[in-house]
Amino acid sequence: MAVTLQDDELIAKLQARDESALEALMVQYQARVFGLALRLTGNRQDAEEVLQDVFLAVFQKIGGFRGDSKLSSWIYRITTNAALMKLRKRPKVKEIPLAEELGPAMTDEGMIAEPVVDWSRLPNDELDRKELGQRIEQAMNLLPADYRSVVVLRDVEGLSEQEACEILSLSEAALKSRLHRGRLFLRKQLADYAVSQTGVNPGPQHV
Amino acid sequence: MFRCRDVGQLLYEYVEERLEPPVSQQLEQHLADCPGCLAFINTYKQTMRLSHELRCDDIPQELQQKLRSFIKTKLSSARPSFWDRLRSRLTGT
Ligand SMILES: [Zn+2]
Repeated sequence: MAVTLQDDELIAKLQARDESALEALMVQYQARVFGLALRLTGNRQDAEEVLQDVFLAVFQKIGGFRGDSKLSSWIYRITTNAALMKLRKRPKVKEIPLAEELGPAMTDEGMIAEPVVDWSRLPNDELDRKELGQRIEQAMNLLPADYRSVVVLRDVEGLSEQEACEILSLSEAALKSRLHRGRLFLRKQLADYAVSQTGVNPGPQHV
Repeated sequence: MFRCRDVGQLLYEYVEERLEPPVSQQLEQHLADCPGCLAFINTYKQTMRLSHELRCDDIPQELQQKLRSFIKTKLSSARPSFWDRLRSRLTGT
């Protein structure tokens, strides 16, 4: 069992080209880096390559690491960039609808004009949670890279807004609008699925 | 009076707990009377929860080994080998 080193100790050893520190770094971060890469690329093969490239890059670039951010943020940033590079090589995903189009239809008075099904509280025998998990995974892969990256860092990985902004070099406003629209898109995909499964008839225009 | 449209516009801030308490209370008052908005917020939050469940925390053993052998190969090819060093010493290059 490798000992977990403190970040500054780890950085100093890595900068001294200590390969045992690289092992400690891998033990500490390999699962997070792989998980993040897997969610961002949505592809096991790509995630494996990202994983390898990230640790090599970290070891090669650690000399230039000045500690302006946390070591973990720096590693996530390298991971995110490597994963997004893979995504950009693939055919472009078409744009997702605007936020207003992803919410319920409104009357001119600004009131909801159609029934909204609350599938969040349905028991497992009515709406299988495991199925729902698979659906959101598929839906995540439909999100264009700009949206997927914010949703993955904030909602999947649970990073703070500040950390996600830093990793993606985004303003708070840009992060907010992409995150919200990304969530609305995922919600809509799940809602369409839930409604089709449960046979609840939400009316002519379901949301 | 809050309309559904206002709820839609404040949804993100509400979920992220960024609203001033009085605004948040007004929004909640609307939710108490509006099953549509309540359902929408519940399913929005549920979507966030399901996203979080996608976080994967383990890495297969075989992949860990692959990573190590990749790193080993890369590091040893980046560094001159014993034979390279010997050869250059013998040939004086
Ligand atoms: Zn409402």
